Amino acid sequence: MKAKKVFLVDDDFIFREAAEVLIKSSGLTEEVHHFENGLEAYDTLIPLADSPNQLPDIMLLDINMPVMNGWELLEELKRAQSVLRDEVQIHILTSSIAPEDLNLSKEYEFINGYITKPLTKADLDKLAQGLS
Amino acid sequence: MTNNIKKILTLSLFKPLTQSMKTKIHSSTEIKDLPFPVAFVDKRFEIKQYSDVFHDYFDFKVTDTLPKYLQGLIGELPKSFLALKKRKSSQKIPLSEFISYVSRKGELRWHKLTLYECKSGKGYYLYFEDVTKKKIAFDLSLQAEHTAKIGSWEVDLVNNQIYWSDMTKEIHEVSEDFVPDLEGGINFYKKGEHRDRIVELVSNAIENGVSFDEEFIIVTAKGNEKWVRSICSVEMVNGKATRIFGVFQDIDKAKSESLKYQVLTDRMRVAVQSSNIGIWDYDIVNNVLVWDDNMYELYQVKKENFSGEVEAWESTIHPDDREKSLKAVQEAVEGKKEFNTEFRIKTADGSVRYIHGLGKVFRNQKGEAIRMVGANTDVSRIKKADSRLRQLLNTTEKQNQSLLNFAHIVSHNLRSNSSNLSMLTGMLLENTEPKKQQRFLEMIRLSSERLDETVVQLNEVIKIQTDHNLNYQWVPVKQTLTKVLESINAHIEEIDPKINIQIPDELKVYGVKAYIGSIFLNLLTNSLKYRKQEMKLQIDIESKENEENTVISFKDNGRGIDLKRHGDKLFGMYKTFHGNKDAKGVGLFISKNQMDTMNAEIEVESEVDKGAAFHLYFSNKKKN
Repeated sequence: MKAKKVFLVDDDFIFREAAEVLIKSSGLTEEVHHFENGLEAYDTLIPLADSPNQLPDIMLLDINMPVMNGWELLEELKRAQSVLRDEVQIHILTSSIAPEDLNLSKEYEFINGYITKPLTKADLDKLAQGLS
Repeated sequence: MTNNIKKILTLSLFKPLTQSMKTKIHSSTEIKDLPFPVAFVDKRFEIKQYSDVFHDYFDFKVTDTLPKYLQGLIGELPKSFLALKKRKSSQKIPLSEFISYVSRKGELRWHKLTLYECKSGKGYYLYFEDVTKKKIAFDLSLQAEHTAKIGSWEVDLVNNQIYWSDMTKEIHEVSEDFVPDLEGGINFYKKGEHRDRIVELVSNAIENGVSFDEEFIIVTAKGNEKWVRSICSVEMVNGKATRIFGVFQDIDKAKSESLKYQVLTDRMRVAVQSSNIGIWDYDIVNNVLVWDDNMYELYQVKKENFSGEVEAWESTIHPDDREKSLKAVQEAVEGKKEFNTEFRIKTADGSVRYIHGLGKVFRNQKGEAIRMVGANTDVSRIKKADSRLRQLLNTTEKQNQSLLNFAHIVSHNLRSNSSNLSMLTGMLLENTEPKKQQRFLEMIRLSSERLDETVVQLNEVIKIQTDHNLNYQWVPVKQTLTKVLESINAHIEEIDPKINIQIPDELKVYGVKAYIGSIFLNLLTNSLKYRKQEMKLQIDIESKENEENTVISFKDNGRGIDLKRHGDKLFGMYKTFHGNKDAKGVGLFISKNQMDTMNAEIEVESEVDKGAAFHLYFSNKKKN
């Protein structure tokens, strides 16, 4: 199944650009929105709680970012309206292979997956399957 | 009993029958009139006559009839009397026997019974003497002699005779029949100083009549060494010593205990002196404080300058610890807490020492505190070692943090660049469109450069952590700062900040010159980088000095940092806080590592939109 849109939250512009190409070529979606840190994503997501049809189907979230990192955004979402957690599939997308990061991600029940970089077409196919 | 009697005879405690008594007995026709207990018995010991006092002496009434035979009066006849009875021959020499019997009143009595044969040879006169009191006194003295291990001795210088009591023999561990002589007696004294001394004292006693009372070591007949006390008195006749006599006491046990105690005391004194422990004794009632020599040494106070009142101690305590210390004393006196506390003192030369004080309170029967005794130990060295240990732990903790950061770099930055390369090369291979391929190649180049940059930074960090041959020196602060400012002159001219420098020309801090320059550069470029666009940048650089540290501060009026949010990770690697494109999160991490390596501290104060102040603390003591 195809996603309407995907939010890509990562401070690495090279990764974002490469990931967008890969996402689009995989057919997951044609609409990828870039955010450099958690705060930018938060500022966009919060107002969309009142218009759920405009929410992204998937948010790929990096952990280590300046200003507001991935964990801080997840904490904010925990306190935000539930629609944000229910309607958006949130996947951690990180280069960290530290077990403590993986374990910490399990503490957030609304997280749908944990992907370690590099992002592959197989990862994106799984995401598409998860939408059905 | 025989032994006791022997002793009685030998020591002449009992008076023998005097000549006048004997004359009276032999000349009297009327025995009954004699004023002492005398009886006349025939050779079968049948009582024929007796003096009037006999009734009273044996607790009979005057009207009572006495037993017919002597044995009826005294029980069994002494053995010598029985032998005489059998022999029936003449007994020219008087016979004396000591007998005991239970009187009619039920009391145990002792008698000396002396037998004299009458001139006609038809019988014997018997003289009775009650020696019960003397016997008891003698037994008691024997017991006392035995308990105190006191023997007696005597040298009759006229007849050249020597007497040792049984206890004296026992002390020398010789048999009862040992016959002492003066030379032999002296030879029991341990060869060397003890024997030389007794020879000198005995000679002085005989020649000059000087008595003595001293302690010696003797070697007994069984080869045992013993401490003895020998007391000597001299009897002089016409200016000449005729007799020396005295007592001899076994003091080995007491002396050994005393010597052991002395050894323990000496050991304790050595231990106390070598361990810097001072002992104090405080008479609470009279406010008298007594210190031992170590206390004066600890407090660096001269004895003559110490008033001996508790206030004198108070005045030595560091002002910051005085209240706490006095409270500890008060609580101990009130019985609330044991006196076990630590405080600082200021010695006369102004140096500070750490003292551990322990004490015990003694109370009277009413429970009132009357005395405190305790010890003070100089724990300054322990304190310093403890501080050093804490510093090492702190360094270890910091190094662990660095390792974690290192792991983070490997995990995150290296992997993020390498995964980018992996993604992009895959995409490059799959995509044949030249325009896209060109873009992918450009991105691969960027990722490769970033990977290289990360490796360089990593190398720089490792170099700080592992370089043990750093050149530590006193670094001139203002000169170093000037050079740094010159190196970024172009950047400064472009931004045109107002820079105030309040640092004395001669100020120096101990560290690594290159690190200090690098830290100054990093803090200055941070101020330039994170300035507020709408306001002219102002940078204040100043220094402060106290007893322990020199503090150099860099303050700016820039964007500041949200310390509530980022304070714990401010000095972490690759931590950026403003979202600046050119922020790499490396500078502060490296500065922190450099400060840690120099055993210096870096602190930050900041408020968002109000600016930041970084304080660099350099110890005024040289690096160990």
